[in-house]
Amino acid sequence: MEVRTAEFSKRATEAIKDPQQQQALHALYEGLHKNRIAAAAATEGWEEQRDRGRAIRWHAVNNLDHYLEMLDRNVAANGGNVYFASDAGEANAYVTELARSRGVKTVIKGKSMVSEEMGLAEALERVGVESVETDLGEYIIQLAKEPPYHLIAPAIHKSREQVAELLARETGGPQQDSAEELTATARGLMREVFQRADMGITGVNFAVAETGSIVLVTNEGNGRMVTSAPRIHVAIMGMEKVIPSMQDLPTLLRILIRSATGQRISTYVTIVNGPRKEAEEDGPDEFHLVIVDNGRRNLLADPSLREALLCIRCGACLNACPVYRKVGGHAYGWVYPGPIGAVVSPVMSGLKQARDLPFASTLCGACREVCPVRIDLPTLLVRLRGELTEGKTDPRNRKVSRVEQASFKLWRFGMLHASVFAIGAKLAGLLMAPISRNGWVKWLPPPLNGWTRSRDFKRIAITPFRARFKPRSPRDGGGRR
Amino acid sequence: MADRDSFLQMVRTALGIAAGHAVEAEDATGIFKDAATVESDAANARAGAAANSSGLLDALAESAAEIGWRVRRCASIEDAAEAVREICRDAGVKTALRSRHSVFDRVPVDATLSAGGVDLAIAAREDGLDADADAAARANLREDAFRVDLGITGIDYAIAETGTVVINPRRGVPRMVSLAPPRHIAIVERGDVLPSLDEFFTLARADFLNGSHRGMMNLISGPSRTADIEGKIVTGIHGPLEAYLVIVG
Repeated sequence: MEVRTAEFSKRATEAIKDPQQQQALHALYEGLHKNRIAAAAATEGWEEQRDRGRAIRWHAVNNLDHYLEMLDRNVAANGGNVYFASDAGEANAYVTELARSRGVKTVIKGKSMVSEEMGLAEALERVGVESVETDLGEYIIQLAKEPPYHLIAPAIHKSREQVAELLARETGGPQQDSAEELTATARGLMREVFQRADMGITGVNFAVAETGSIVLVTNEGNGRMVTSAPRIHVAIMGMEKVIPSMQDLPTLLRILIRSATGQRISTYVTIVNGPRKEAEEDGPDEFHLVIVDNGRRNLLADPSLREALLCIRCGACLNACPVYRKVGGHAYGWVYPGPIGAVVSPVMSGLKQARDLPFASTLCGACREVCPVRIDLPTLLVRLRGELTEGKTDPRNRKVSRVEQASFKLWRFGMLHASVFAIGAKLAGLLMAPISRNGWVKWLPPPLNGWTRSRDFKRIAITPFRARFKPRSPRDGGGRR
Repeated sequence: MADRDSFLQMVRTALGIAAGHAVEAEDATGIFKDAATVESDAANARAGAAANSSGLLDALAESAAEIGWRVRRCASIEDAAEAVREICRDAGVKTALRSRHSVFDRVPVDATLSAGGVDLAIAAREDGLDADADAAARANLREDAFRVDLGITGIDYAIAETGTVVINPRRGVPRMVSLAPPRHIAIVERGDVLPSLDEFFTLARADFLNGSHRGMMNLISGPSRTADIEGKIVTGIHGPLEAYLVIVG
């Protein structure tokens, strides 16, 4: 997928001015976020479940080579193929070559964030293979040719009218009105594709090392259709998605699903153990698991960022984040929005391009509060900010301008010399007087205009506080009694 | 391309560890529970489910109704067959496909459905067909699943905590019968119900360690649903619009 992380400010500004996006973001908060709070409160031992989930994920990530090796062995024992891909290009090449060699004309896709990273749908289209998304939200944004807006609600920014328009264009029929009619139409459109598709592609919520299983969590049932209707099933996972045992699933499913939607369980939890077994009535003849690095090694190699790989992609940090809830999902410019996106996008796709993302946070800690595996997102963001401002890893990433450095040197000098400070304050007050209105400055000349572009500045008083404070201080017999 | 060994070596380099490093045991994960412990946990789970079968049926009925199953409780197998007939009548079901779960040896749905005028197909692919005939039989079955108004199945387990039924596809139990038709009826009997996901996955792991590894496992909790259009919940996007749980006993 095209990386547009450099356009954060522009796209954030657009979102803030767009009432429809603001309404959708508010609905996420009122819906998913509050559902999560209620579900957590109603769950016995919720905090312990989170601790346990974190411990499982931490153990798996810190022994990733061990569990990937085990997974590889057991998928093979189940009759599946495993392919390890260093980057998106390799993963795409494997899937497109598989499609070519098996004479695949149509692919149906379940929801997969990794495949969004890879731009897999586009890669398939380039080699002449039709690729149809089947998660309703993903289907809608595929028709609209847009990236996902939210990890679990990818089309939440689209109004019902917009969805109706997109579907009517597909069917050539009249525009429908209700969500029920639109859903029924989408069902019909996708039913036709399910029955003729040759290959199904899914993501992976968890891959169980010991049993060589992949686990899919869906409400719609597309995860089941995609893994059962076509003759080939390809599952694609980020390399960190492995967990040791089936017995880890109760905890992880509980915290994932409650954090994502507030449900006790999703309608379908589908556990795939390789291709159709000999005696089975239906299901694919081939199963392929593609395990993708694509920059995750950068997170793994840095002990202070490694915990970002514990993420189970529930989306709770998005709904909780006051910045996401204003700037929306597209401002982040890549596959992963919100606080977790602000950490993983820069590290996976290049810190230089995504330099605004770690700053797109108030560090209020709401994300850490809700994260089911307790990822310390604010600390990770501060860590990346440090890297960007001090340019420790790559001086080209230096965020600090010379003007900013010079201003801080001047500030330091002023703060150390009371008389200089007094003169400076007086001067600033006088300079601001002509450009202020009702005590506020809405515009400053360059190079200070960056500050006033998105904020107003309180005019500095001509008579400083110290001057007003002195005659009223108790020592002089003034002040309040 | 990255072969497995160089990929794993990359992971080790990133982690700063060497091949064959020790894996420190972590209590939170089940992987360090040995086969004997898992087997005895599984035996306890089975015994517990049997001992508290009434309480678990009640708990299942309650949690299932909360998540959108249309629950019918029946005192006898005759009542259960009658409930199936009523559901078909009320929903205008003309055609149905059923699995070959053993519950249908006890609950006489075939007779009641044909008496009710429902055209019933059974997932009964024969053993020992040659490759072409076998492929044709399977294609037939799939066509049936996409054509009929209703799929009827038994279950392998139910889970009271979440209102879930588990169906493991196998011969006589197609994946599609509980998915493709617009309505699904699942029949649950006393003794099928486990308290929580913990017991279910303990049993699943015990099966694996015993060498009786399942193919696919489907955990199903109510009708198919989406909230992708303006956050409004609508059922029946890919799977059944209506999901019925007929609880016997």
